[in-house]
Amino acid sequence: MNEISSTLGRRGLFKLSGGLVVAFSLFNPADVLAANAKAAAGRPIPGGVPPDAGELSAWLAVHPDNTVTLYTGKVDVGTGAETALAQIAAEELYFPIDRLNVVMGTTSVTVNQGPSYGSRTIRYAGPQIRHAAAAGKAALFELAAKHFKVAAGELSVENGIISVKGARARSISYGKLVDGKKLNIEIGASGKSFDMVVAPQAQLKDPATYTVVGTSVKRKDIPAKMTAEYTYIQDLKVPGMLHGRVVRPYGVGATLLSVDETGLKEIPGFVQVVRRDNFLGVVAETEWGAIQAAQMLGSVLAPQSPTAGQAKWSDWNGLPEQDKIWDTVRAAPGQDVEVSRNGDVDAVLKTAAKTFKATFQTPFQMHGSIGPSCAVVDVKDDRCIIYSGTQMPHEARHVTAKLLGIPADRVELIWYGAPGAYGRNGLDHAIADAAIMSQAVGRPVRVQWMRWDEHGWEPKGPAIVQDLEGAVDADGKVVAWRHHMWLPTSMDTRLIAAALIGKPDVVGSVGMGTPAITYAYQFPNTDVADHAEGKVALLTASLRSPAQFETTYAMEAFIDEMAAETGQDPLDFRLKHLNDPRAIAVLQAAAKLYGWEKRPARGQRPPAGSGPVTGRGMAWVNRDDARVATIADVTVDPSSGQIQVKRVVVAHDCGLVINPDGLKNQIEGNIIQSISRTLHEEVTFDRAHVTSRDWFGYPILRFSEVPDSIEIVFVNNTPEYPSYGGGEPATCPTAAVISNAVFDAIGVRLRQTPFRPERVKALIA
Amino acid sequence: MAQPMSGKPVTINVNGHDRVIDAPPDSMLLYALRDNLGLRGPKFGCGLSECGACTVIINGNAVHSCITPLSMAEGQKIVTLEGLGTKEHPGKLQQAFIDEQAAQCGYCIGGMIMTAQALLEQNPHPTRDEIKQALDGNLCRCGTHMRIIRAVERAANGAGEK
Repeated sequence: MNEISSTLGRRGLFKLSGGLVVAFSLFNPADVLAANAKAAAGRPIPGGVPPDAGELSAWLAVHPDNTVTLYTGKVDVGTGAETALAQIAAEELYFPIDRLNVVMGTTSVTVNQGPSYGSRTIRYAGPQIRHAAAAGKAALFELAAKHFKVAAGELSVENGIISVKGARARSISYGKLVDGKKLNIEIGASGKSFDMVVAPQAQLKDPATYTVVGTSVKRKDIPAKMTAEYTYIQDLKVPGMLHGRVVRPYGVGATLLSVDETGLKEIPGFVQVVRRDNFLGVVAETEWGAIQAAQMLGSVLAPQSPTAGQAKWSDWNGLPEQDKIWDTVRAAPGQDVEVSRNGDVDAVLKTAAKTFKATFQTPFQMHGSIGPSCAVVDVKDDRCIIYSGTQMPHEARHVTAKLLGIPADRVELIWYGAPGAYGRNGLDHAIADAAIMSQAVGRPVRVQWMRWDEHGWEPKGPAIVQDLEGAVDADGKVVAWRHHMWLPTSMDTRLIAAALIGKPDVVGSVGMGTPAITYAYQFPNTDVADHAEGKVALLTASLRSPAQFETTYAMEAFIDEMAAETGQDPLDFRLKHLNDPRAIAVLQAAAKLYGWEKRPARGQRPPAGSGPVTGRGMAWVNRDDARVATIADVTVDPSSGQIQVKRVVVAHDCGLVINPDGLKNQIEGNIIQSISRTLHEEVTFDRAHVTSRDWFGYPILRFSEVPDSIEIVFVNNTPEYPSYGGGEPATCPTAAVISNAVFDAIGVRLRQTPFRPERVKALIA
Repeated sequence: MAQPMSGKPVTINVNGHDRVIDAPPDSMLLYALRDNLGLRGPKFGCGLSECGACTVIINGNAVHSCITPLSMAEGQKIVTLEGLGTKEHPGKLQQAFIDEQAAQCGYCIGGMIMTAQALLEQNPHPTRDEIKQALDGNLCRCGTHMRIIRAVERAANGAGEK
């Protein structure tokens, strides 16, 4: 076991030495974090406030063994961001990437660069780290100039070894150079979070000379994940730790009437029940003991009634009816947000050659992490240490401080890797659950949700309804376009546990559904509006490409209808209404890779007794400036209604790509996950609670259903185009692509997800 | 700890070593492996035998440890992800998964590798359809399926050998 004092101690050493120098060698980040956890458990006060972004030491440490640590407030929950950010730093530092380790998220040693969501890590944190690393390289050159008594311009660097030009024998490694010296460097920083500007004066490397950025460096985290040496938050054990489980209400808003503790004490390892208002949990020495105790109180897959367990709940039935959810969404109060308004849509609709009308309905969907949400929290009277895999560690620190009533400078979050979250899932809520239980028992408590807690209570992506109307003139051009969206919020940041303890508004707030859409189409008459709403029915949070997965479905399926009904090739039809060169480029690149032959959609009903029929579909999106065009072949079996996606082609423009294979991995993931969301996924609920509480109730795509191939081409992958995000844009087109391909194959329009076989069959009949 | 977890400890053989577990015999093997032995390969995913994240190999068969009572594992030979190799010396399948970069978050991958390991022990040269069939009970939410299939094929074809 590596002996280091603590994150506070490490930070203290930075302070003493005031800069690049640290007095000991760091190992790999996992070891460091494991040692942190061990040390943190015994220490009285956690590590205070995050470092000052204007100091070089907030970002980088060079160690005597010639390794470098990059510190970032960003985290990696499976996206490859750790490796990509390391590439950016290694590039500017001229340092070998395999000797550069990354510490992510831990609030006492990293700068708050904003949450790791919304495809914003490479785009916003990338330049911050790039500038900090460039400033670090300059500082090292100054040190070397003094060391060799030459001008900095006389020096060259390769792989972290600085040499005097023309005198290769006069060389020194970064590690040796800073060893034992003090170096206090202000690099300057202004602004906050995504908009923070770091080291604005730093001289950046010419991208034409890049050797690390733009290459498929193997991901740093993968070997340990393949051999069980990686510590996920679920794997963490802290000395003195107890195991907690939550017992949620039967109905979402039910009141806890009574708790019968009979039999709990006979469970080996049982410690106590934690009850605060409607918050109910159990704590035990063993995980199995906690599970058994929670089960006795009523935490089971399919609870039979509000009073079936030993915890008795009031009979609450306040949720709206699921089969009328879109009426409920339409009726919810909100405020109208205009996205685009030109000309007079109504006048054109009355006179146009051909008019169109369609409504698109999409259900609540869930993040569905394979690893249920987990956190370990250690609350003492006046301080709190959180161990978590949250996507927003710095925010979670403040939120937890407020929830507990402890000053934020006495709260620290130590970050560990987590299973994929795909948005804000239950990870932050598990922190609150563990915090309340730890506060009650005075020991560290690990809470992991059961599968039914995750499926039942994780915040969902909202149900959405959209009305579209449009008109095409005699020349086959769109002359009117109306798109009205009813969008409940994806930004309800309140905590489940806070509501249960009777303080629903102590942290967080309910946002309004924002119009997640970018129109590049040139239509002369438009009426595009969002009816922005707060919470409707279930708690929601951002789910990969929040709302834009749904709005892209409606927009791109509807324009496909217009092309088909006017006998036009769907690619030509899109291109003649576009003048955004990057949109046009991805559509053309996808068409080229696919081998697109021009023709209108076939759209014929299959003859009776027909076997599987193949169709093709396309769609594109501009998601926060990244452009993605997708084309796919699907087969539809008319007898069963089964849809199988066979071949997928993606053209992806997010500017300069940091790690091509890493981005391909993300795009493949987006495609498969969005096929799953399109074909299978719908959260079900009755008037009391979510009823799709496991993987049978909420099925996702399986191996037998994956496409034969996913082919990817990058567009504008050059330094003239700054990097945009790649974590989620490729999700957006998929539902429209499949819908359009199904129309091509069998002539029916699917205007409601998921496209389950019975729905397809009913439309054919 | 105040009281022993069970009257009668259970002995299981894990990755070639006999281990004595002090846990109730009707508790599930997953918790014995993770909490008593500190192993990380088998993961809690659902506790319902629906996702495969907890998969281990018992006497050559891929088994969901989340629904396997500890008492049923008594005296059995259990292999977990840890038993296949280390970062320094990865097993053939582990190396193939690394070579194919066949993970995103990686939480499901231990179960994938153990299921594939059992498949390859019984059928060293499976077809693509046989691989898909063997893995159909293992869920991956990140959508890494294409790479996982390629990794198993790579190991089966010997390309993953070092």
